[in-house]
Amino acid sequence: MSIEVSGLTKKFGDFVALDDVSVSLPTGQLTALLGPSGGGKSTLLRIIAGLDTADSGTVSIEGVDATGLPAQKRNVGFVFQHYAVFKHMTVAKNVAFGLEIRKRPKAEIAHRVEELLELVHLSQFSHRLPSQLSGGQRQRMALARALAVEPSVLLLDEPFGALDAKVRKELRDWLRRLHDEVHVTTVFVTHDQEEALEVADEIVVINEGRVEQVGSPDQLYDEPANDFVMGFLGEVTTLGGVVLRPHDIEVALQPGLAGAVRGTVTRVLRVGFEVRVTVRTGDGDPTAVSAQASPETTVVLTRTHARQLGLDAGTQVWLTPASGATTVSSMAPAGRRAAVTSGV
Amino acid sequence: MTSTPVLERPASPEGRRPRRVRRTTPRSTLTRGAGLGLGIAMLWFSILVLLPLSAVVAAAAEGGWGRYLSVLQNDQTWAAVTLTVSQAVLVTLVNVVVGTVIAWVLVRDRFWGKRALDVVIDVPFALPTIVAGLVLLSLYGPNSPLGLHWAFTPNAVTLALAFVTLPFIVRTVQPVLEELETDVEEAAASLGAKRSTIFRRIILPSLVPAITAGAALSFARAISEYGSLVLLSGNKPYETEVVSVRVLTFIENGNTASAAALASVMLAIALVVIVLLDVLQRRVSRRG
Repeated sequence: MSIEVSGLTKKFGDFVALDDVSVSLPTGQLTALLGPSGGGKSTLLRIIAGLDTADSGTVSIEGVDATGLPAQKRNVGFVFQHYAVFKHMTVAKNVAFGLEIRKRPKAEIAHRVEELLELVHLSQFSHRLPSQLSGGQRQRMALARALAVEPSVLLLDEPFGALDAKVRKELRDWLRRLHDEVHVTTVFVTHDQEEALEVADEIVVINEGRVEQVGSPDQLYDEPANDFVMGFLGEVTTLGGVVLRPHDIEVALQPGLAGAVRGTVTRVLRVGFEVRVTVRTGDGDPTAVSAQASPETTVVLTRTHARQLGLDAGTQVWLTPASGATTVSSMAPAGRRAAVTSGV
Repeated sequence: MTSTPVLERPASPEGRRPRRVRRTTPRSTLTRGAGLGLGIAMLWFSILVLLPLSAVVAAAAEGGWGRYLSVLQNDQTWAAVTLTVSQAVLVTLVNVVVGTVIAWVLVRDRFWGKRALDVVIDVPFALPTIVAGLVLLSLYGPNSPLGLHWAFTPNAVTLALAFVTLPFIVRTVQPVLEELETDVEEAAASLGAKRSTIFRRIILPSLVPAITAGAALSFARAISEYGSLVLLSGNKPYETEVVSVRVLTFIENGNTASAAALASVMLAIALVVIVLLDVLQRRVSRRG
């Protein structure tokens, strides 16, 4: 294990940012710390880097106890959300900074900088100032700067958070490919579940200062430990007392399958290739006063499928969870730590 | 001779090309409103600054170069010029260090009475300078409670100038320091830089424009100071007499031409220093 965190607790005044967090991050992998804003994931990353100190607990990096080490001595590469560029230095000088600090020979520095700029596709910008680069380019420069010192771990704090959607998607793919090339142990913080599912080998879900679940993207998506993880990794809806994903519901126009729930379509919304159908389930008459309180289920279908069924507001339908669907009981107290059942 | 073609080159078409390029760029981007604004600004600036200054320079130039020479060759005047300029430089250098430190403390540290200190910094600037002189006289004068009898010595000039120029660098550096993002320093730290290296290579280059701007203000104020010096320095010729006092003496003796000549010399010195500081700032902030 490359990074071993055990029993970390950190408070800011009354606010508990981390509550007895223990987690092991494997060597050579790309791990995502995923969770809602204010959940403590950035704090965890900053403590690993030595930029913050924990109230209690230990951090070891590559088998060395780093708890008391200052940031300078941890040999950790850190990439910040807002790039943290050295404004007055050229791109090449920014990347060379860590090597110059280490007093490497000039020729070696120049060679290494050239190599890294090649890696992040910024070779032709080496003499520019950061202010002359776009956000995505600045972040790539920051990444090259962090990689220059050959860190034992690379930590990225919401690295694509300040970029627009298109660039974010590009850089995300690019980070994945870069990691496949460089193989440095990488941990990145994100609140975007799509980003985590797409890029990471392993995901650590953190909420309210605690680790909710650790696992591969597939594990987390298919076997969520509780309804928080399930809800955070994708859209959920309820059907007949279970929580499940809207695309895991089969829609029929006749009551064929046993246990099908009858309902009436109240709304059909098309978003691109998918169609979101809102179905009011519960008993019978949709015009009854009690209808307001009766539960609604959201179903996501493809455009083609919806057209085949001819769904429209007012259509009577029968809903069943698709076979193999991941479901979590919605009856769990306070909605936390619910039992998980897979398949129906 | 190998030098001949080199001399001829400027006349060749290649030599002219840059000029043509410059001509094709639009002459100005002023709209009507902006033109009006520029007009008002220039008129105001001319009435207040340019015309009086040119009047002084013109008055001084009437006597030709000979007048400048005779004014500067006067030993007493020359002593006043060197005293003023050297004290202004000294005080500005002190301010560069102390002002930056004070700004740092005010921005980065938390301590009891910080808000009060932040307000008090401006007092030397807000006090009428004659009052500043009085304040300093009571502390460093003949009845000094500290036993420092600096009044009427060159030390008094340093003291008075340091007092009145203190806020300039503090007030120019402070906002820039407040705007600096701490993640930049954290990035440098995680790359292995020590505190001192971070300050020298990351923080200082960002502060240089503010420091030089403050230094220019501080120097300009120092060479023009009058009020606080009158009481404290005693205006002893060759010892504590500064240029502004010397100019006043010329005027009181009806020698306005010499006063104008000396004034325009100081104007030139101020210009040179401001330009030098600007050049220095560009150099340093580009070096990285």
